[in-house]
Amino acid sequence: MAIRPILSALLRNRAGALLVAIQISITLAIVVNAVYVTQQRVEKIGRPTGLDDQNIFSFSTEGFDKDFDFPAMVRADLALLREMPGVIDAAPMQQIPLSGSGSSSGYFSLPNEKGTESPANTFWTDEHGINALGAKLSGGTTFDASAVKYLDEYPQFLQPGAIVSQGFAEALFPKQNALGKTFYDNHSTPHKIVGVIEHMHGSWVGWDKVDRVILSPMVGPKPRTRYIVRTQPGEIDRVMAAAEVALRQRDSNRVIGKLRKMSDQKMASYAGDSLMAVTLTVVTGLVLVFSALGIFGLATFNVNTRTRQIGTRRAVGARRRDIVRHFMTENWLITTLGVVVGCCLALAAGFWLSTHFGLPRLDLYYLVGGVLILWTVGQLAAWQPSLKAAKVSPSMATRNV
Amino acid sequence: MFAYYLSLAVASFKRNPGLTALMVFAIALGISVCMITLSSYRAAARNPAGDRGAILFAPSIDSWDPEDPFEENEKELAPTQLTYRDARGLYASSIPDRKVIMYKAGGIYSRDDKGMDPEYLATRMTTKDFFAMFEVPFLYGGAWDAKADEGPEPVVVLSKESNQKAFGGANSVGRTVRWHDREFRVIGVLDDWEPVPKYFDVSNGSFSDMEGAYIPFAWGPLLELGSDGNTNCWKTETIDSFQAFLNSECIWFHAWFEIREPAKQQAFRQFLDDYVLEQKKHGRFPRPLNNYLYDVGGWLERNKVVEDDNKAMLVLAFAFLVVCLVNTVGLLLAKFLNAAPAAGVRRALGASRRDIFWQHLTESGVVALAGGITGGLLGLGGILALRGWYGRFVDDAQRALPVDPTNFMLAIAIAIIAGVLAGLYPAWRIGRAAPASYLKVQ
Repeated sequence: MAIRPILSALLRNRAGALLVAIQISITLAIVVNAVYVTQQRVEKIGRPTGLDDQNIFSFSTEGFDKDFDFPAMVRADLALLREMPGVIDAAPMQQIPLSGSGSSSGYFSLPNEKGTESPANTFWTDEHGINALGAKLSGGTTFDASAVKYLDEYPQFLQPGAIVSQGFAEALFPKQNALGKTFYDNHSTPHKIVGVIEHMHGSWVGWDKVDRVILSPMVGPKPRTRYIVRTQPGEIDRVMAAAEVALRQRDSNRVIGKLRKMSDQKMASYAGDSLMAVTLTVVTGLVLVFSALGIFGLATFNVNTRTRQIGTRRAVGARRRDIVRHFMTENWLITTLGVVVGCCLALAAGFWLSTHFGLPRLDLYYLVGGVLILWTVGQLAAWQPSLKAAKVSPSMATRNV
Repeated sequence: MFAYYLSLAVASFKRNPGLTALMVFAIALGISVCMITLSSYRAAARNPAGDRGAILFAPSIDSWDPEDPFEENEKELAPTQLTYRDARGLYASSIPDRKVIMYKAGGIYSRDDKGMDPEYLATRMTTKDFFAMFEVPFLYGGAWDAKADEGPEPVVVLSKESNQKAFGGANSVGRTVRWHDREFRVIGVLDDWEPVPKYFDVSNGSFSDMEGAYIPFAWGPLLELGSDGNTNCWKTETIDSFQAFLNSECIWFHAWFEIREPAKQQAFRQFLDDYVLEQKKHGRFPRPLNNYLYDVGGWLERNKVVEDDNKAMLVLAFAFLVVCLVNTVGLLLAKFLNAAPAAGVRRALGASRRDIFWQHLTESGVVALAGGITGGLLGLGGILALRGWYGRFVDDAQRALPVDPTNFMLAIAIAIIAGVLAGLYPAWRIGRAAPASYLKVQ
């Protein structure tokens, strides 16, 4: 197959070919980077949380009578919640995982801020906490009910005995069984690990240490706590409506905060990521369609303006297959020009995004994938016009002369 | 002449309705994506303080850990909140024209006469200048005075919304609400007020809800109220009482200063350094001297109110628009060349190259306008759809993604500029073609 006649035909309509090449190059740059970023966001959103996050809701409650019995209120509320039909378990908690608000501190494997160090996101709950979260213990047990302390004021230290996530255990005691080991806060207070959670996400989904979590057996401080309630699948809406009414009936001398589904809080925490993923996916789809349209339009235009030339070639012996091949090759050349420039653009854009916007550096596999996709799109878009060209009759050569 | 070109353009659209629709659609899609990302970017990039943004200043002084900088990735930056001691220390300066220290607290409000359901309200603990400094509009009454700050006097300013809940929207000045077991007298009620972004406290959410009540700052330490927002600590210290917490290196306070004259601004920067050097003598501020005084614009930038994702999406949206435009250039070129014989006839009848150029540029302008309007409407639909979806679980979706007529106009303006740019080459090309060759074939 001779490239020369194709090239010279191409050079006759430089503007059109150039436009399509430019379009393809920018398309490649967009598609490669957009797909890469989208992929990472989708992975991030899809990480397992270690929680039964679709079947949990939470809310705050705060008593305002001066001398009310805080532990009695919490115990009565929880007893009522746990008895409700459709409820698997309920527990007190000062902050809610995946919600975006929580507290964290640094901890050490040895006293006096020595040994390995790791921050952890701390949650306070009672012996029902593990079950109410739907978390799985890989070792040890949940708290002993007698270990749970009801606080009168904000605590300086965690309570003795801690259940920790595997992520935290591994950070502090790499390659060891952390169960039964002791870790220390920055005042050298010892905390014995009584249970290890297989995997659990804490409050901040954007934190790279989101899987480092400590549960401590305490409730409060007076007058305020939150409750988390885990329901049977499909029961959450019904239970939410019933729970608020039942708690208000039991004791109206308090304020009950807004009931929130953990799944909604999770969606809110990932809202930025999902918006980014959705926007990029839509743009990627559209930009591919536009590129295909551009290629299709140019090929059609070329075929329409060259019917006489095609007819002449057919008349002097070119087969239909040669005509198809001519246009497909011409198109492939244009696409390839676009793709080559596009690779540079994509790399530059990827570099720029990673240095200016803190996005991770582009993975080269995506570039290869993008090139293959655009070649395919280009050839598919040129297919129909090329077939149309092949149908031009050799007699066209003699018309209109 | 322009009217004639318009009529020619309309005639041309009728000749190729499919191709015309495709061009309008291409521009519309590009514009709609741009408009959506632009709306979210502009909401975050706004400077709601307007001209006053240049004379309002937030300090950032480096009281942080000698071992670890406050920002892991930008080590040169200082913390964005203050310790209690430093908030008080800076507030003592007499240089600024106005000054505010504050933090976010909360609590349950009720009325002794049971006229309202007890309700938790986010509450701003602040000082008297807050209202004048941030140009807060009052519906009834007004701000408290210096005496109320010193007392502190039990006074409260309610937001319009919480006044609605507590008093049905009536003028409640002089009436009382109960808060943390005390009576607070309503001294003012605000009108609608919602700066976006919430620039005076971006540490607790750039698009967060406004507080429901404002109470003199000094009540905070007196009632031992911690922050209901962000609190950060780095130092190992024994915090066994609220007083110890106030004396700690934990940061949870904000300060703002209004300083009108440049000389005074300079003096205040010097004051910040002198203050920190003095504190160093007492063993505080273990890091090297590293103080900043940001105006509103600088503060919003320092706090990354415009997120990196915002910028990246905006860039991608405009790259997409470029693809749509290149597409349009190609389509226009094909369309104009297709109609070249008509242009040839007009040239032969005496139209100049320039006339042909303007005629075709007008045609691209009309396509762009149609694409802009369609794209603006599509963008509006997209914004409403996104808000509908995210509004179910994100409280601030409306503020982060506003419907703003300016954005609509901006989208149309971008479309027209882009469309005319796209039309330049095809219009020039068709104007350049020699009339004779087209006449011959006819």
